[in-house]
Amino acid sequence: MSQLIDITLTVNGRSHRLSVSPRRVLADLLREDLQLTGCKIGCDQAVCGACTVLVDGMPATACTSFAFELDGKALTTIEGLAAGGVLDPVQQAFLEHGAFQCGFCTPGMILSAKALLARHPDPDEPLIRQWLNANICRCTGYQMIVEAVRAAARAG
Amino acid sequence: MDDSPSPFRAPVIPLDGPDKVTCTARYTFDVSLPGMLHAKVLRSPHPHARIRSIDAGRAESLAGVAAVVTGADAGRLPDPYYGVAIRDQPVIAIDKVRYVGDMVVAVAAIDEETAYRALSLIEVQYEPLPAVMTVEEAVAEGAPFLFEAPAGGDAVPVGEGVTSLKEPRPNVLSEFGYRNGDAEAALAGSDHVFEDRFTFSRINHFHLEPYVNVARASGEQIELWSCNQDPFVLRNDIARIFGRPANTVRIHASYVGGGFGGKSFCKMEPLVVLLAVKAGRPVRLCLSMDEGLLTLSKHAGILVLKTGVMADGRLTARQSEIQLDAGAYSDASAMTVVKAGYRITGPYRWAAVATRAYAVRTNSVPAGSFRGFGGTQASFASESQIDMIARRLGIDPYEFRRRNLLSVGEPFQPGDSGMDSDLLAGLDEVVDRLGYRRRVAPPGVGTTRRGMGLSVGLKDGGGTGNHDQALVKVLPSGRAIVSAATVEIGQGATTALCRIGAEVLGLPLEWVRYGAIDTDHTPLNNGTHVSCATAVTGMAIERAAADARRQILEFAADRLGCSTGELTLDHWTVRRGNYAHLLEPMINGYFGDAGTEFIGRGGTKVEYDPRAPLAAPNLFWIPSWVGAEVEVDCETGRVVVTHLVVGADSGTSINAQACRGQVEGAALQAFGQSLFEELRYDGTEPVNATPLAYRVPLASDLPECYESFVLEHGGPGPFGAKGIGESGMLGVAAAIANAIQDAVGVRLTQIPFTPERVLMAIEGAR
Repeated sequence: MSQLIDITLTVNGRSHRLSVSPRRVLADLLREDLQLTGCKIGCDQAVCGACTVLVDGMPATACTSFAFELDGKALTTIEGLAAGGVLDPVQQAFLEHGAFQCGFCTPGMILSAKALLARHPDPDEPLIRQWLNANICRCTGYQMIVEAVRAAARAG
Repeated sequence: MDDSPSPFRAPVIPLDGPDKVTCTARYTFDVSLPGMLHAKVLRSPHPHARIRSIDAGRAESLAGVAAVVTGADAGRLPDPYYGVAIRDQPVIAIDKVRYVGDMVVAVAAIDEETAYRALSLIEVQYEPLPAVMTVEEAVAEGAPFLFEAPAGGDAVPVGEGVTSLKEPRPNVLSEFGYRNGDAEAALAGSDHVFEDRFTFSRINHFHLEPYVNVARASGEQIELWSCNQDPFVLRNDIARIFGRPANTVRIHASYVGGGFGGKSFCKMEPLVVLLAVKAGRPVRLCLSMDEGLLTLSKHAGILVLKTGVMADGRLTARQSEIQLDAGAYSDASAMTVVKAGYRITGPYRWAAVATRAYAVRTNSVPAGSFRGFGGTQASFASESQIDMIARRLGIDPYEFRRRNLLSVGEPFQPGDSGMDSDLLAGLDEVVDRLGYRRRVAPPGVGTTRRGMGLSVGLKDGGGTGNHDQALVKVLPSGRAIVSAATVEIGQGATTALCRIGAEVLGLPLEWVRYGAIDTDHTPLNNGTHVSCATAVTGMAIERAAADARRQILEFAADRLGCSTGELTLDHWTVRRGNYAHLLEPMINGYFGDAGTEFIGRGGTKVEYDPRAPLAAPNLFWIPSWVGAEVEVDCETGRVVVTHLVVGADSGTSINAQACRGQVEGAALQAFGQSLFEELRYDGTEPVNATPLAYRVPLASDLPECYESFVLEHGGPGPFGAKGIGESGMLGVAAAIANAIQDAVGVRLTQIPFTPERVLMAIEGAR
């Protein structure tokens, strides 16, 4: 058996000290060890973006990040957004603008949009489309997602 | 076309929305049971081979492996084959493999890593056989056969003027034929006859939630948590395959993370059950997306259309021959070919029709249900050819369509139902939005040329002879549970169905919840298909809610000593004259603290009628109005769709926002298939069956201007609703092809319209 690696990481503001196998991927750690099942695994190859989480505020695919790489980092997952039962403006905008259908890409989409708006509070449509290129949605045709992100920008 | 105000105008927050934006929504992907094992599958590297031997000894003795299943296990099942109408697909390969990706050995182990390791220890000896990779190869003289003996099952039942055959010739899975009038004579009497050939591509559903199932077998009970969109169809298949009474099989459905037809009907589910039975522990099988790409596809095909027309632009007759590539196994191909064949005449008036359509077996990934179900193939060929004929005759393609479109009430074919949409009104809406009438001769900058194209796709909707049952429970507090077996796959069924129930009961939508689906408790239906949820399931729910409402009013009338006719019900209050009576205290006063539930039941069945070509008149029609403006670069062959307008008819929108989402989502799938998306083979090898290489549309692929509209022309469902889910798929490819011809004068008859193909066509025309 391979040796375990001790890491410390902050997830949604809570600090965790964990011993992880060098082969442990972040998506499994989140889903299985921390029960954060909002992290969805679609393609498992960093293509679809469903597993997107924020690492120090930047989008990263949890399915292809090793857990040990996250040592000392701060993560935000979808569960970290609606703190205190109040939806984040991006979540609220997705809810109101029909920006989801099956919902499987939604956590990744919302987190990518969060990261975009943190850097560009008032993005134009081409910029939104460019950022959302990291996330595949097979259901909506994207237009309503783009509209939700614009609405979230206005609300934020 | 009823002008009374719809009760559904106000926008609503979808009931599944809060779960989905916070991601507390539970999918089958999230199901975990105590002691659960994880399974992986060894797949065939050969397109066609006999399995000589399987040595799984080393895998079986690997620590952590609980069960290994092969064709030998499957062969001992009472009926190890499945498929729709024609049952030819084994639970796992029994004697032969028939495509690259066919399932050969499955392992259940303590985790996926161990299961993968076990697969690497298995040795399979194959005797390779010659393969047929295309329809042409499969029907050629001397072609090797995929099946040596007839499969189980029957031909799809049909009605007047239609023939439907099961396995009429080697490698032909099924054959459909339709005749109305004397097409040969009508063609002979036409001023012009045009014959054109179209080639349709193979794509994958690419639903983001993988195929995932968790099975548990304990005692006589089989339990399955499945991402399948047809819980009762699956229950019956599992019961038949394992020789168990259906009441010992229980299927649980959750939110489904996308399907588009990919998760319809039985596939790997019985294999998961077999693993659970053999291991004596619960087993989860979650396919990778690579495996998903080799599980099911949309039918590739070749469509040859011979169409007659008079000099004045009146269509006369159409003779069609359609060959759909069914892949290695039946799945839903026998049904798809019936639908493709029947829909090939499009939304037009004909004096005579003659159609032959075949599902042909090849050594490639099985094809089956895909949003549009044969209608996309038919609409692409038909709407391309209609445009080509108009241009050949020098008639404007809009005007040519206008002269030939079916009017409201005109039957699609004799014996079938009348057109229930104003087809011209939808086309006019497209034309207005696109600016089609204002266009001038194709302008262009530098090497680019611009053009516009129109199309009117059409399919039947709601399912043939479909039926549904539903149940509505109203609690003492007036809170209600609406229950049916239609799964929430992203189409918005939860909200639409609850809204129908809420409207009938006079309850706020937030008081109504969609019941969890479990075949032990949920009323039965045929599955989540054919854009049927709102109209067919909705009708059953409307009746169930009306039944509950009647019981509530009867109870209140009893308590108040009056007749039900004196009472009205709204917001869980009954009114009699000027007096309002709250129901909750009335119920608890009579039944005690636990109260009671008013349980309403409802059902619907579309009657069969042998005079209708498909054995039942179609319930409603799904038009797809599309207009595209393109920019074609004559030097690179690159096509950019600058403006795409997509329109549909919801009958009545129960949730306008969801209708829009359905139309735009479907249209973008069709858009991807039109321009670049394709599951490709190089010889016998699938070359891009992996997510990194398989390109689906991204946000930046969106046309610069992308607009949709939804007309409300009425329908047979509750409050005049009809289905809309498949509409956006139908007309897009032809509209883009038509726009390309408008721009550069060349015709693309094969999708996708890649730069290579476009450039070759342009250069060929020079």
